[in-house]
Amino acid sequence: MIRRLPASGRVALVVVALLWLVAAVSPLFAGRAAEIRLDERLQAPSRLHPFGTDDLGRDLAARVVVATPISLAIGLVAAAVSLVVGFGIGGAAGYFGGVTDLLLSRLVEVVLCFPVLFLLLALAAFLPPSPATVVLAIGLTTWPSDARYARAEILKAKSLDYARAAKAAGAGPLRILLRHLLPNALAPLLVSAAFGVSWAILAEAALSFLGVGLPPPAASWGGILSSAPAYIEEAWWLALFPGLALFATVSAYNLLAESLRRATTEAGGK
Amino acid sequence: MKRLPLLFLVGFLAACRARESAVGAGPTPGSALTPTETAAPPLGFLDESKEGTPVEGGVLRRRLLGEPTTLNAVLQSGLPEQQVLQYVSRQLLDFDARLDLAPGLVEKWEVSDDGREYRLFLRKDAAWEDGTAVTAGDAVFTIRQIRDPKIPSPVFKPLFADADIVEAIDATSFRVRFRSADAMHAYAFALPLLPEKRYAGRPFLKVRENRAPLSNGPYRFVRWKTQESIELERNPKWSGAPGHFDRILFRVMPENPVAYRALTEGSLDETAIDQSLKERAAADRTFAACCRVVEFYNLDFNYIALNNRSPLFSDVRVRRALTMLLDRPSIVRGLYRGSARIISGPWAPDSPAYDSRVTALPFDPRAAAELLDRAGWRDTNGNGTRDKAGREFEFDLLGSAGSTAGRQLDEIFAAELAQAGVRARVRPMEWAAFVERIDAGDYEAASLAWAASDGNPDPYPYWHSSQFPPGGVNVAFYANPAADRLMEDARRERDPARRREIYHRLHRIFRDDAPVVFVVNASQKYAFRRRIGGLVTSPLGLYGFWPGPLSWWGRPDDSVTPESAH
Amino acid sequence: MVGAAGRLRDSGERALIRFLVRRIALAIPTLFGIVVVVFLLMHLAPGSPASAIGGAESGRRVSAAARAEMRRLYGLDRPLPERFVQWLGRVARFDLGESFVDRRPVSERIREALPATLALNGLALLLTLALAIPIGVAAGGRPEGPFDRTSAVMLFALYSTPVFWAALLLQTLLSVKLGWLPLYGVSSDAAPEGLAGLADRLAHLALPVTCLTYGSLAFVARLVRSGVAEARSQDFVTAALARGLSRRQALWRHAFRNALLPVVTLLGLLLPGLLSGSVIVERIFAWPGLGRLYFDSILSRDYPVVLGLSLIGGVVTLAATLAADIAAAFVDPRLRESA
Repeated sequence: MIRRLPASGRVALVVVALLWLVAAVSPLFAGRAAEIRLDERLQAPSRLHPFGTDDLGRDLAARVVVATPISLAIGLVAAAVSLVVGFGIGGAAGYFGGVTDLLLSRLVEVVLCFPVLFLLLALAAFLPPSPATVVLAIGLTTWPSDARYARAEILKAKSLDYARAAKAAGAGPLRILLRHLLPNALAPLLVSAAFGVSWAILAEAALSFLGVGLPPPAASWGGILSSAPAYIEEAWWLALFPGLALFATVSAYNLLAESLRRATTEAGGK
Repeated sequence: MKRLPLLFLVGFLAACRARESAVGAGPTPGSALTPTETAAPPLGFLDESKEGTPVEGGVLRRRLLGEPTTLNAVLQSGLPEQQVLQYVSRQLLDFDARLDLAPGLVEKWEVSDDGREYRLFLRKDAAWEDGTAVTAGDAVFTIRQIRDPKIPSPVFKPLFADADIVEAIDATSFRVRFRSADAMHAYAFALPLLPEKRYAGRPFLKVRENRAPLSNGPYRFVRWKTQESIELERNPKWSGAPGHFDRILFRVMPENPVAYRALTEGSLDETAIDQSLKERAAADRTFAACCRVVEFYNLDFNYIALNNRSPLFSDVRVRRALTMLLDRPSIVRGLYRGSARIISGPWAPDSPAYDSRVTALPFDPRAAAELLDRAGWRDTNGNGTRDKAGREFEFDLLGSAGSTAGRQLDEIFAAELAQAGVRARVRPMEWAAFVERIDAGDYEAASLAWAASDGNPDPYPYWHSSQFPPGGVNVAFYANPAADRLMEDARRERDPARRREIYHRLHRIFRDDAPVVFVVNASQKYAFRRRIGGLVTSPLGLYGFWPGPLSWWGRPDDSVTPESAH
Repeated sequence: MVGAAGRLRDSGERALIRFLVRRIALAIPTLFGIVVVVFLLMHLAPGSPASAIGGAESGRRVSAAARAEMRRLYGLDRPLPERFVQWLGRVARFDLGESFVDRRPVSERIREALPATLALNGLALLLTLALAIPIGVAAGGRPEGPFDRTSAVMLFALYSTPVFWAALLLQTLLSVKLGWLPLYGVSSDAAPEGLAGLADRLAHLALPVTCLTYGSLAFVARLVRSGVAEARSQDFVTAALARGLSRRQALWRHAFRNALLPVVTLLGLLLPGLLSGSVIVERIFAWPGLGRLYFDSILSRDYPVVLGLSLIGGVVTLAATLAADIAAAFVDPRLRESA
């Protein structure tokens, strides 16, 4: 499938790989990122501090690097949670139909129409701050779109010949699901996952920005950005660089997802 | 006829200005710590009430940090409410600039020989804006409402919890008898009044006057545009010395940078500012041309509360070690740029209870490490964190998510503790959840700020062992029998000089016991347009005392005249 | 012939009506579900409206016992089901109750904040459509053409930019560094009322509206583009061209209208998305709208306001979703049979 990706997709893949590389080497910068130097607060970018320093004198570049694995990991896990829950519920609704479908669709609708921010805020603010809470909050608020997608796909696939044939031959639901439906759903699953990751990274950043994300000092990019508004008139670098990292990551994942979608759609897959 | 003993001595203000904490003292006023184009604002108390010729008339435009939730003086609980109510609602007794209780609506008061009964005599000319007199009936009604369990008045209720008789003697005097002879009861009468006739017989919480108060002060209410502004004008029925302005306009502006801009652009006359705005003002030519910074110390301070009941913090050696691990001098220099003073006890240095001869514990990581070792906390399993009897020295350090200063303090503290093998996990919490946990005592360590709302330095409610949560607010669970006894003695002591001695002894105990990590008393910073004169500042701030902002006046323009240049 | 077609039309319409009724009926349990969950979450949160009283700012700590007492005064110690039923009862009479913070009716507080949010979101929606549709049509008209390619890159970049970052950057550049636009708020203090102050209000609207618009603009534009590109290749367009219509006319009259369906569906989801996104924008720009009211009320545990806003938000979202579904079913009869 990688071969079928357009050029933009391959670029995106490279960027994502680079990001993970940065994440892998980031422990090397942990010390520098934690060094509080009150005498060097809010310094503009210089040779010593390429991104400047933050409001406690810590090197911003080191902090941005150290935030990479946190932001990426949370994004990935939250997207995975969303995917699993969404596909599980959506798949079940589509497959079993009838009352199950009715009930589960109502559940999907409730969460879909729910004030997203309220749910995020409530979960993140009322539970003790931790990566698990953030992952849970994001995963629980984004699964409905995956569920709807999964349900639609399963409904489509159910009506296809090979599925009906397998059922007529006596195959059980799980077997049909795994052997027949899933392989065809793999491509759209990947697309969904890629979009999910970028959305989850954004959501986590937003939560941290609002002050209900990860506890310090283990800040993600959003967490670093949360201190930027207070110093907006004197320290523009606090806003620029973490946001740039966020932008690059989200763009890369979006681009990847977009090209995956184009590749799989044009190839005839659903 | 015994006069109620005046609380604290005159003139301590002047003495206080010179006295600073011996360790890590901030710079003396006028020293240039930051390179600026204009001179650094003098750090000290202002009294411009005798300077210049007051100009009558005009509008004063002030800033509110938030929207008041009510203008009912008994229900008030926040700063914005106090700012507005000060103009329309006189108190029975006021604090003056020197933190003494002075007559307000009450012209004189007496205490019985046994110290339990207070008789207060209202001024004969005290009147509401509709012309009717302020009567003892109003006072009795107000106090009864405060004591009513169905009325949420958390600020005043505890003050009258001990009262058993509240009744009018005649139309202009009333008496209150308390169950104990506590000298602190006098503070209860720094109390604003409600007009009985507007409230009697109506549901208390829904009365129109909660949003449009009836005034008995120098100004009266005009209108309230929610989320925008509150407007006041002169009260023609006011019999005392009138304010200089014709109208007062309060603007709701939660964000500091917005207020700063409004000030420099000329649509605001006064605003509180923070450290970073002060630095910006110093380099800003527009600011220098139009405005000035006023900076002084008030009674607020920061501290890091430690739950003395936790096995981590029950040992005094550990608490002292933690205090010595916080580099407070560096915080003063770096975070506050010198505009803060290290404190060694639960008061600000300008409080009469503070004994400036008591020095703070030094920043000494080595001595701290030794103390921790001796207390049995050593790193026996080589993981970098001290431990004892199988328990690691790690804990959650709570803070309010909305407080930048709190978060910064927490992160600095955690970093310094980490170097000594103590692991503090910084946990910013959402405000309401945070408050609940602190007041219930359900925490290990938390960074808190103390904002004094009046001049009463009585430590009893916050440090006496009978005041543990949930019934009381000794959230540190501090229990020291010697300190307890001193606090009880101070409450009973009617002679203010002797009471001050007791507080000084307590101060020493607090320093030695380090029930919490006392941090700093930071300066308050305000920016004013130069046209405003007659400023008086006090340890209670700009407006916690009488006359407070009522002495301000304003020229119609901002021309910088020789005598107003700072 | 007419009879048969007429009968077909009737059955089609009946199916539509059945669909309508079914969807609305199903929406009711959804609304109920939303309200129940909001109620539960709010009341399970630590703290209460009493937590907002006192605290660090006023310098007096309030004891836990005093807070418990205040909770009793607010009626918050009653069992949850009882409080919920009580609230439902009031809602049935269109009474949203009173705010715990200042005891004013919830409806009044919402009414005050509504114009600000409407101005912001309304303008953002208008701008989104006004910009996205032409861009999408132009790009879709010539797929893989130069405009399509360049716009794709730009739109993509916009789509990937976090709202709060864009806000900070715009503020820094346009307000702090260049001083062209104000930093926060609805209007300046010195601004005159009415028409004269319009320029001032527009200046204050500029940055927040931009932040709200650019994200959905990117999304909608891409959607219109793919819809137009797809429809373009369809038969009826070729037929229209063969009939002598100009390329432009063919595009607008046929391709665009068929591309409209996904857009309409999208609008159903866009509106609530805007309202949600405006919380962050309102916070950053100190915009006194519903988003900020919502956020502040959650923090101060002002249950009646939170419940009221959630109810209204849920209704609006459901209505928008319903409208989108019904519009889709109207256009495509096949959809009328689905749940």
